[in-house]
Amino acid sequence: MNRTNIVGIYDDHEGVLNAIDKIQENGYKVKDVFSPFPIHDVWEKLELHTLIPFTTFLYGASGTAMTFAFLYWSSVVSYPLKFGGKPLNTLSFVIILFVLTILVGTILTFITYLWREKMWPGKKVELPDPRTTNDKFAILIEKSKDFTGSDLETINNLLKDTGALEVKESNVSYHEK
Amino acid sequence: MYNTRVRGILIKGNKSYDQVTSEILTPIYAPSAPTWWKISAFVATVALLLGVWAIYVTISTGIGTWGLNNNVAWGWAIINFVWWIGIGHAGTAFSIFLLIVRQKWRTSINRAAEAMTIFAVMAAGLFPLIHMGRIWDGFFIFPYWNTRGPLWDNFNSPLFWDVTAISTYLTASFLFWYMGMIPDFAIIRESAASKIRRKIYGILSFGWLGNAKGWLRFETAALLMGGMAAPLVVSVHSIVSMDFSVAVIPGWHTTIFPPYFVIGAIFSGFGMVLTLTIVMRKLYKFNDFITDGHLDAVARILTFISLIMGTAYMTELFVAWYSGSEYEMFTFMKNRVTGDYTFAYWSMITCNALIPQLFWFKKIRKNITAVFIISIFINIGMWFERYVIVVTSLSKDFLPSGWAVYKPTFIEIGIYIGTLGLFVLGVLLFFRYVPMIAISEVKHVLKETSTDEAFTENEKH
Repeated sequence: MNRTNIVGIYDDHEGVLNAIDKIQENGYKVKDVFSPFPIHDVWEKLELHTLIPFTTFLYGASGTAMTFAFLYWSSVVSYPLKFGGKPLNTLSFVIILFVLTILVGTILTFITYLWREKMWPGKKVELPDPRTTNDKFAILIEKSKDFTGSDLETINNLLKDTGALEVKESNVSYHEK
Repeated sequence: MYNTRVRGILIKGNKSYDQVTSEILTPIYAPSAPTWWKISAFVATVALLLGVWAIYVTISTGIGTWGLNNNVAWGWAIINFVWWIGIGHAGTAFSIFLLIVRQKWRTSINRAAEAMTIFAVMAAGLFPLIHMGRIWDGFFIFPYWNTRGPLWDNFNSPLFWDVTAISTYLTASFLFWYMGMIPDFAIIRESAASKIRRKIYGILSFGWLGNAKGWLRFETAALLMGGMAAPLVVSVHSIVSMDFSVAVIPGWHTTIFPPYFVIGAIFSGFGMVLTLTIVMRKLYKFNDFITDGHLDAVARILTFISLIMGTAYMTELFVAWYSGSEYEMFTFMKNRVTGDYTFAYWSMITCNALIPQLFWFKKIRKNITAVFIISIFINIGMWFERYVIVVTSLSKDFLPSGWAVYKPTFIEIGIYIGTLGLFVLGVLLFFRYVPMIAISEVKHVLKETSTDEAFTENEKH
């Protein structure tokens, strides 16, 4: 589905932050921001959140649980064999538990990140403005159907006033969230 | 964000974002590699081929081609394994410890340090693999369902811990390293002149967008993966040290081993980072990104770690005496401090505990040639440390009738040279095909740390 976005290009992240405030004050919605590096204030202003920390915790916890289950089952249930007079279910399992918690947590966190971002090797994307990977910052505002001419003008002015180098429309549909 | 002028200006020359991108990408966009690159790549390939030949001889003939004997069952292979793993600690230590303590100066160096980690751990992993002798039975180490009971692995064996620890370390470091490169690959995808480059880096960039939510998830995931890898820095070398310390061999059976190994690993890793960044900065003229201040910071860390190393060496001697064990006393006093291995022992002390103390002098820290030479000494010293630990304890343990002398054969030396070739070749490929400095991370700290005014402005708030 192609939607038209109004794109404001900036060459500084302060301009972007300023513009987001102004646009939101005027009752419009900022759809997305493209930048060459992460800007933490943008997340706050756009009220973005991620659940990745929780999933990572779950991965780690299940990694520990599954590893312990396997160690216990193989060493105590399946083939109880004494090594060096130690108890079958020993404290030294801690070492393998520790390492495998990290292994499972890391791999699954990486996979979750790719999955949530819908990223894979060789995926083709088109950016609203390719310069945003280098030195430009872009604000996207979705052009809704009920926008009147005055709405467009207000947005245009807001962007220009906050220091936008150019304002354009873009039909590029990067994946929608 | 918290900002301090203690470290001074991190990125010199008050660069624009575009300058940062283009300067870091210059070596990748160069039409052909420089002559020194080609020559070094050739030498490294020859070294690698020597190693491949030596490994072939080892596998086809057997471990008998090495200088090992009944007593000294671990020789160069294990020395080099521990040495490489130690070097491989710097990447994670750099990226993650310094990320956690919010040291912004790491941004110029972390990518190179992480790359070094990957190649060093790959070189390290080779040694236990070929040391197995029957490499085709190598899969026995994994707990798989088998027809022998099923008889499982001994999960209390440090050798098994080693396998899990090192494969986890390699996986975690690689994923963390690769993830950091995704935004930088996207820059090449969008800006490269050649279509082939756009295509290749496009595949590698996984369809990176750089939008707000993307950055949020990216930073969160990277921080979590870093946070999880941080304990690995401590655990991997602790586990390696347990290969030694759980054995009842004088000189090995000590509780100081895990912290002693970890700190030694970070020491050798930072030493190698210093060697590598000085070379990188010199050859690619990255003086604005890797400033004298960066090298100074690493040198200061090394001074401190060197003191810990010295303390550890003295602690070992003290405990040998205090334990009242004549075997411990013999190992340390008659077989290390004095005796057949005096040269190795005192080289270790000189290179690790004494020479780095020269970094106390500002003049030496500012003299890059001196810093480079000292970093080489650290690499050599750490090799001798592993030599002292592995060989002295094994060659003369409890029964004098069982004492044996160990000398490496050409095959063992060949494998070592081969891993050096592998490492250097890996680093050279990294220089040529990957952005050597994390571009987006440098940009992130650029505005707040590249001019004096930025600091003053920050202090006003």
